[in-house]
Amino acid sequence: METTRGQTKSRGLRGWKGAIFLLCLIGLWEMVARLHLVSALYFPPMSKNMGVFYRLTVDGTLPLQVLLSFGRMFGGYFLAIALMVPLGLAMGLFRFCFNTFEPLVESFRPLCPPAIIPVVMLFLGIGDSMKMFVVFYACSFPILLNTIDGVRNVDVVLVNTARTFGLSRLAIIRKVVLPAASPQIMSGLRISLPISLIVVIVSEMIGSTNGIGHFILLNQRTFNVPETYAGVIMVAMVGYLLNRLFLGFDRRFMHWHRGWSAEQAG
Amino acid sequence: MDFKHHLRGETKFTGLLVILFFFALWEFLSRQGIIYTAYFPPVTTIVEAFVRETFLGDRELVTHVGFTLYRAFAGYLFGILIGTSLGTVTGIWRSLYQTLEPTIEILRPMPSVAIIPIAILFMGMGSRLNIFIIAWAATWPIFVNTLDGVRGVDLTLVNTARTFQLPRRAIIRKVMIPSALPYIISGYRISLGTALVVVVVTEMVVSGSGLGFYIMNTSQSFRIPEMFAGMLMIAIVGYLLNTLFVRLDNHFMAWHKRLTKKEAV
Repeated sequence: METTRGQTKSRGLRGWKGAIFLLCLIGLWEMVARLHLVSALYFPPMSKNMGVFYRLTVDGTLPLQVLLSFGRMFGGYFLAIALMVPLGLAMGLFRFCFNTFEPLVESFRPLCPPAIIPVVMLFLGIGDSMKMFVVFYACSFPILLNTIDGVRNVDVVLVNTARTFGLSRLAIIRKVVLPAASPQIMSGLRISLPISLIVVIVSEMIGSTNGIGHFILLNQRTFNVPETYAGVIMVAMVGYLLNRLFLGFDRRFMHWHRGWSAEQAG
Repeated sequence: MDFKHHLRGETKFTGLLVILFFFALWEFLSRQGIIYTAYFPPVTTIVEAFVRETFLGDRELVTHVGFTLYRAFAGYLFGILIGTSLGTVTGIWRSLYQTLEPTIEILRPMPSVAIIPIAILFMGMGSRLNIFIIAWAATWPIFVNTLDGVRGVDLTLVNTARTFQLPRRAIIRKVMIPSALPYIISGYRISLGTALVVVVVTEMVVSGSGLGFYIMNTSQSFRIPEMFAGMLMIAIVGYLLNTLFVRLDNHFMAWHKRLTKKEAV
């Protein structure tokens, strides 16, 4: 009892302390910049950055860039889900599929995603399809490997029970294997979401004429420093929100799993 | 267990066939001009370029691998130092964690590559920049895992140590860190992969050396076989580092694996 009370007490304090620390950091930033301890060329005061951020958000520049990046990012991300979850299911279920594809997967896996950008640029130019493909490549491995793992770790007893009740193969996959593997499939999706954001920014920095990654790098190269910071603030917010969004999604659609496993444990 | 071993042996054989078939098909299609030879040179040409750039003449690839490895390792080490210590300290002192939490939660999900332009302003284009970005990216997974590990320490263990009157520092060193170690190591593994990705990215975007620069440069000057050779080198480096890590992990964490196995039985 005592511990719970202590926790609730500290929870009230926690947000408070943390917020003060954050505000102090921003205040320190502001002071260092205003006193010109660091060249204002690199380090504009935070108030100025936030002002530019506000202006660029209200006039639609930053939201537009983010939307462009989102289009590419989710294009590649959903393509990876659409292709890799079924492939993972097949590889997890059928030994033949696994034996055929696993070595190819393993030989491409050490090749890190940004390294394929130059090749993809040769074939697809610097348009949207290039970025979508690179995102697709980057997301494929976590999704595929987690799906295979999830399917392989399905309790054999479950499958045999379903078989005993005379369920068809398709029904077993749909009603037993897929639900049982879904927590791990979801964890693959969660891992690859931040990866897709990183990769889309990288490919926009390397070959693009718009998008948030291009926006940041272009403004740095033309020494529009507050605009650069504004772009980075935007990216930070997007990263934070994506994370939150996915956690909310996961909680909503996978809560049956959590409830169930908690019951098992308790 | 036996079943898995059996499976692995079988995989190796058919797998080899599939890979050989894949590359033979590539070679054939490219030689016949069915896929565009300028963009997809035959595998033998790529291997030849790889051998030439690695072992003959000015050994350009070797120079670039040196730069890449140096930056990746330096950044990775900083990431390990910062991530482990920050994670341990915040894991032990709850109030410190509460103070830092909002700041960390804002910085952590931010894609590391987004800070490249700002880092350029402060550090210019030298190796320092690559190392800083790699350290930044490598820190977070290690930090999160260390924090989880330290917080997840079995309270019974800590209380037992307390009963035996171990001083606080000894409890941290002899109980908390060893018991968090598996988590910490898994953070190291994740960060190693991150470090490799980020070193290539930073080299592609800013540097004038390293494997990332090499593949960008060769592709822009249409030395396509060399570009593929560079990619091959990146893959080899990635594979070797990962294998090395697994070996080291098996060697140094053998006590943990033995322990968990015994417990399971």
